[in-house]
Amino acid sequence: MSSNSALERTINKVLSQKETELVSQIDSAFQESLKNLESSRSRLEGERTKIIESARKQAENLKRQIVGSSRLAARNKELVTIETDVNRAFEEARERLANSGKDSSYQALMSKIVEESIPQVASDEVVIECNKNDADLVKKIVADLSKKNARLRASVSDRPITAIGGIRVKSADGTMSFDNTLDSRIERLKPLIRKNIARMLRGEEGEE
Amino acid sequence: MPETTSGIEYTKVAEIKGPLMVIDGITKASFDELVEIETSEGERRLGKVLEVGFGKAVVQVFEGTTGLTITGTKAKFLGKTMEMPVSQELLGRVFDGLGRPNDGLPDPIADKFLDVNGEPMNPERREYPTSFIQTGVSVIDGMLTLVRGQKLPIFSGSGMPHNILAAQIARQASVVGTKEDFAVVFAAIGVQYSEAQYFKRSLEESGALRRSVLFLNLADDPAIERIITPRVALTVAEYLAYDLGMHVLAILTDMTNYAEALREISAAREEVPGRKGYPGYLYTDLANNYERAGRIKGKNGSVTQVPILSMPADDITHPIPDLTGYITEGQIVLGRDLFRKGVYPPVNVLMSLSRLMKDGVGEGKTRADHAEVGNQMYDLYSRAQEVRALAEIVGRAGLTGTDLKYLDAGDMFENHFLKQAPDENRNLEETLSRAWEVLSTLPEGELTKIKEKHIKAYYKGSK
Amino acid sequence: MVAKGRIVWVSGPAVKADGMAAAKMYETVEVGDSKLIGEVIRLTGDVAFIQVYESTSGLKPGEPVVGTGQPLSVLLGPGVIGKIYDGIQRPLDEIAEKSGAFIGRGIQTTPVDMKKKYHFKPSVKKGDEVGPGYILGTVEETPLLTHSILVPPDHAQGAKITDVAPEGDYNIEHVIATTEKAGKKVELKMYHKWPVRKPRPYAERYDPTVPLVTGQRVIDTYFPIAKGGTGAIPGGFGTGKTVTMHQIAKWADSKVVVYIGCGERGNEMTEVLVEFPHLLDPRSGRPLMERTVLVANTSNMPVAAREASIYTGVTMAEYYRDMGFDVVLVADSTSRWAEALREMSGRLEEMPAEEGYPSYLASRLAEFYERAGRVRALGSPDRAGSVTLVGAVSPSGADFTEPVTTHTIRFIKTFWALDTRLAYSRHYPSINWMQSYSGYLEDVAKWWRENVSGDWYELRAESYQILQREDTLKEIVRLLGPEALPDEEKLVLEVARMIKIGILQQNSFDKIDTYCSPEKQVKLVKLMVKFFKEAQKALKSEVSLADIRAMPIIPQLLKAKFEIPEDQLSRLADLDKQVDEEFRKLGSASSKSEEVKVVA
Repeated sequence: MSSNSALERTINKVLSQKETELVSQIDSAFQESLKNLESSRSRLEGERTKIIESARKQAENLKRQIVGSSRLAARNKELVTIETDVNRAFEEARERLANSGKDSSYQALMSKIVEESIPQVASDEVVIECNKNDADLVKKIVADLSKKNARLRASVSDRPITAIGGIRVKSADGTMSFDNTLDSRIERLKPLIRKNIARMLRGEEGEE
Repeated sequence: MPETTSGIEYTKVAEIKGPLMVIDGITKASFDELVEIETSEGERRLGKVLEVGFGKAVVQVFEGTTGLTITGTKAKFLGKTMEMPVSQELLGRVFDGLGRPNDGLPDPIADKFLDVNGEPMNPERREYPTSFIQTGVSVIDGMLTLVRGQKLPIFSGSGMPHNILAAQIARQASVVGTKEDFAVVFAAIGVQYSEAQYFKRSLEESGALRRSVLFLNLADDPAIERIITPRVALTVAEYLAYDLGMHVLAILTDMTNYAEALREISAAREEVPGRKGYPGYLYTDLANNYERAGRIKGKNGSVTQVPILSMPADDITHPIPDLTGYITEGQIVLGRDLFRKGVYPPVNVLMSLSRLMKDGVGEGKTRADHAEVGNQMYDLYSRAQEVRALAEIVGRAGLTGTDLKYLDAGDMFENHFLKQAPDENRNLEETLSRAWEVLSTLPEGELTKIKEKHIKAYYKGSK
Repeated sequence: MVAKGRIVWVSGPAVKADGMAAAKMYETVEVGDSKLIGEVIRLTGDVAFIQVYESTSGLKPGEPVVGTGQPLSVLLGPGVIGKIYDGIQRPLDEIAEKSGAFIGRGIQTTPVDMKKKYHFKPSVKKGDEVGPGYILGTVEETPLLTHSILVPPDHAQGAKITDVAPEGDYNIEHVIATTEKAGKKVELKMYHKWPVRKPRPYAERYDPTVPLVTGQRVIDTYFPIAKGGTGAIPGGFGTGKTVTMHQIAKWADSKVVVYIGCGERGNEMTEVLVEFPHLLDPRSGRPLMERTVLVANTSNMPVAAREASIYTGVTMAEYYRDMGFDVVLVADSTSRWAEALREMSGRLEEMPAEEGYPSYLASRLAEFYERAGRVRALGSPDRAGSVTLVGAVSPSGADFTEPVTTHTIRFIKTFWALDTRLAYSRHYPSINWMQSYSGYLEDVAKWWRENVSGDWYELRAESYQILQREDTLKEIVRLLGPEALPDEEKLVLEVARMIKIGILQQNSFDKIDTYCSPEKQVKLVKLMVKFFKEAQKALKSEVSLADIRAMPIIPQLLKAKFEIPEDQLSRLADLDKQVDEEFRKLGSASSKSEEVKVVA
């Protein structure tokens, strides 16, 4: 018995020792896991804010992108609309010009055009082209000019060109030419006219 | 303004060689005049006069001379130099390399027409650049500070992420303490479609496209057009800055393609070449573009230029990066080694430099220790690189204690300070505190470039 | 008769005009309807080849060219100081007033304010005999500079003063004296003109013996330049060429500074313009701008004017030399000037030499540097003045074997080689101490001995020897690592490092370090040499190298350059004592025990 009890005691002792050890182990494990939990919670929280932060950032970016591109799209639509109106105004002006009566002011303009165009090609022998309707007028102007300048050999081409007015001068050998039709004059002024039309369309004052 | 009388047309083509066309029988033409060329098929191209006299004009054709013929080609001299129509409306638009719309929208309605060659800015009227631009990229803000009105190029090599870096700068650039945004003028000069597209998308995604103007001359676009692309872009940048008062960031990529176009013309003119076949006037010509950056006294706006160029064979002594470096106010050099190591941005700081940093940082602008920290970081990395080279020969064992510290500090420099994500925007405080964290791994006595008071305030290492 | 011709050909800055038989070589002409300024650089038959100093965009054949009868000249008189000019002496502020922030074309200007009144004090009287270079009187041009009014060098010798203005306020157009010789009367004003390509004459040349003190340690102590000497700074980009040039312009102890920005950055000129009025001369306490003239032809300004800017600058420098002043001229960069020569030569279709440069590049460089010198000026009173020329060179690819660098080296005596490798490691100024040299070292030693310190020459030699030894030892380290060296040699490396950081490196942007007086320079070198000698002794008496490396005095020696301002130089003596003190302690500690300190 004694030996038994001694054994028992020892076992008990060991057991109790183990028990306390166990308890303390469990305890520490518990504490540990608590701590882990705690830290993982804060980590999780951090992760969460990070995710939210990046989502927010993304949303913000997206918003910026959407707002940016839609504003841009709206502006571009406006540009196209203005352009359509500008072109319409342009066409109308061109048409009116073509159909307007060729009065005396037109004749004065034409003789000015012929006079300033011929020296441009820097040759005394030139061929002048114009539209069908202006042929007679131009011939008369050229004849007048030839009287003033004996060296000038200017002829008016038989082949009419399509233009709303004005002339084209070529050197006799054809290597040089100067386009002074109303069409090309309008073309050169186009940027300025467009700016004015656009301003008027936007309700601003036009400028010369 | 466009002239009402102009445009003599000549048909006597004497010679076509390379990108040049020689026209005979010229009576009226001026140097630098714009020429409109009509091919026998009725196609129109633009060119400009390079030389005129004795009845001849040498015309450089921007779209190239392919398909031009001796007979049947007409050249109309327009009586003006090349101009770019400008107005506020340009923002949000995309143009080709000659400044013509490329986005399906109509020609812009111009407020003015400006000569694309610009005029030299009078140094007496320049405002010296001193406003710090925060790019959010640590290595730039901390050590290579960019200031408003500076021209700071990126020297890169093929395949390296210069476009990603440039796009990051364009997205993040801000002047601390102001709400003013940068307008971006982007000129693609002979780059691939994908590269230009990347940049455009990046601007789009950050909502910056509507304050950007893009000029695209892509790799398959005419090469000679590239002579004009940076000029039209900078003309617009100057207009936005000095007429509209905006702060403009102009990014020109890739200037190497520009210089090559210049070489092509020079060769066709049979000029005496300078180094590597580039014309002797390459320096002056590049300067005419790069110098179009800065600020003007009494005006609000600024043009800050970030030209990008790829160094042929990564060679910084090649004439293009070499001459660029002599004109620009510093350079950001990308390094192949860092790139291979996977470090972004792979900035080789030792070869990089910002000349205007000294004037943009310090007390009242950024922080009193900024300049000294930058210097010390250079010193640190330079020593670290030396030690690394040594360690490769003698091994770690052959190094002294201080050397070992430099070795580790060098690694930390790369990983903790230099390296960052392409969408990571660090403010200056963070950049400087990262720098101090790196510096604090060294013994205090090693910080020979920093004043005592700053060491007291920020140094965290051991004595 | 004035030449009147027509343009027949235009290509960039080069224009040909015919009908120019009456034109002279190097005559200034007005080109085209907008009267651009140009210069005749070749005559063939009646065709003149003209380099135009302004943009020729829009110029066309047929437009007129009119001669002025005058060679390209500068106006010399009071009012030049403090100005910023373009390459042909047009004031940039006046250009700005007329054309705004961007430089327009065909703008007519006057180089100085002709209406401004100066207080003239005559120094000659009626009946005096005068000749070229005689001083007629003086005016206060700036608070820093008393300007002598000179009889022009091309005036007759032995003329009599028939009339002289009494002391009073006059503008510079006022006739202040009249001379007469053999019945020929000449009216003299406060200014005269002089052609830029013709060196101004002097009476006699002296040997340069006085150093130009720049306050830069590596220059003054190791590679000095003499007043009236020549120097070149070649360096690749980013090596700090311009910063070094600015430092010389700021701190050199000359009376007048002429700064030529030749084909360089616009912002750099602006920087000088912004900075100099605020920087005070360390000797007089007056703004530096009161002794400075700027000539700016930035890289985007017309290339032909770049060629002229060098001559414009040096002629103004000679003018102030003739008053008896020391003048320093810095030209940044002579390479851009050479490139301008190359460009014009190419347009002239001349036969190119190396790298496309004209064959006369060397002779032009020689002519330019020959205009330096310390001289006895013409006329009376007797006076000596000097022009010191410092040229920056921008070798392509940092390659010193390219033509501009190699030719320049032949004509200069001080060579400051900037080193890309040093610049990459942020060693500024990046002047390589092994490649650089000074031909004036022996010439200026006497001045240092008499004015600063008796042992300057020896200290310089001793400290330089440490650097030389380090250079050889570095080779061994590169192969075997530093541990392969004995302690004595490791000490050489250590002290060489200290000299590099504490002396050679100098921070131009630090308020204190930017300027270092000769006195401070000598004291700093002395401290380093002393430290080296003491450390050698300590090593011999068994002190360990680790202990020496850990001495607290080292960081203090390294930082003395920027921690100790000029007005507290006595603190350097404290450092000297501390060196003694710490070595004494080390010596006694090592004799007591073998205790090893932890390296901090």
